Amino acid sequence: MRILRKNQCHKVQGLLSPYIDEQIGSSERDRVESHLEECQVCRRELELLRATVNLLHRVAAVSPPRSFALAEVDAKRRPAALKREAPQWRRVPALGALRVATAVTALLLVFVLAGDATHLFEAGPVENRAALQGTPVADEVQGTSVTDEIVGVGGASFDSEGFTDNEGYIWPVLEIELALTGVMLILGGVTVGLWHRKRRGLEKG
Amino acid sequence: MVECATMEEDEIIRRAKEGDLDSFNQLAETYQRAVYNLCLRMLGNAPAAEDATQDAFISAFRGINRLRGGNFKAWLFRIAANACRDQLRSLRRRPVTSMDDAPFEFKSDQPSPEDYAMRQELGEEIKKAFVTLPPDQRLAVILRDIEGLDYEEIAQVTGSSLGTVKSRINRGRKRLRHHLEKHRELFV
Repeated sequence: MRILRKNQCHKVQGLLSPYIDEQIGSSERDRVESHLEECQVCRRELELLRATVNLLHRVAAVSPPRSFALAEVDAKRRPAALKREAPQWRRVPALGALRVATAVTALLLVFVLAGDATHLFEAGPVENRAALQGTPVADEVQGTSVTDEIVGVGGASFDSEGFTDNEGYIWPVLEIELALTGVMLILGGVTVGLWHRKRRGLEKG
Repeated sequence: MVECATMEEDEIIRRAKEGDLDSFNQLAETYQRAVYNLCLRMLGNAPAAEDATQDAFISAFRGINRLRGGNFKAWLFRIAANACRDQLRSLRRRPVTSMDDAPFEFKSDQPSPEDYAMRQELGEEIKKAFVTLPPDQRLAVILRDIEGLDYEEIAQVTGSSLGTVKSRINRGRKRLRHHLEKHRELFV
């Protein structure tokens, strides 16, 4: 019985606000009124809600500190004028191109690092390379030994007898990694700087 | 008389749509008090309310061609409510430390010192209570109980159904009532 009554109170209290504003149908209004006759809790709720609403009705309007009429300068912000005059951030030179360049550099760096980690750029054993080229290991090719050739290309330092572990880099991977990191940092820094400038420009309108 | 005023307003709106800035400024002068007060109650911060009001009028001028008949005030309030949402986001990023510059004052015909002190205290309490309301409920209660819009107009301003409007007003008033109950002696 108590649960039923509590449930009824809950339903009626949900209708009190539209009841005050006369925004409920006649059948609901009758239901609310008959419940209010016998429920002191809901009557008190209605009294407090009415007092709150009456209080809000008494809030005085404040005079605006100035006129908000648009000046000619504001009128320039109409759509037609905006189309003619690109927003501040769009005039930031080549921000889009910088973003793309930064992304491409970052991807290249990831590719090189991944290749380095998976030994993609390492030359195979010298015997295999020589076999592929059809030249004996010790043969001189145009006055340069294969060993020298590989050292020259790889940029790695090996002893004059040949590779100590028969492996080396086919590209100067370390230099490429460092160069890409440097380029990416510079491009990224410039891009972030310009992006902040763009945001500030947008906030100022 | 009301119909005459509406006809006159329709004509002013028509001229404003043609790009006549003076006509638009006539509308701005008519509604700036209501728009500024809506923004002030929503944001609780006078400088932010000033910015939102200005943004609302600029947006209204730029978009007045999208107004197809209907209630100009409700349309303008809708734009102002969106400007307030932008300002609220901006205030969340850079919170203000004080709300003392956005007072809630009450109409009173008893200007005694005691009455003044009580109204000041009550104003403070209402201001605190409004801050606790979610923006959607705050907007609905302000539009209904301070600006005096009817439910249909509030539905137009908020772009919600009548049921949602009823529910927001109901929940908002309940929250305010719970907050103010601690200070019953001030207003009951």
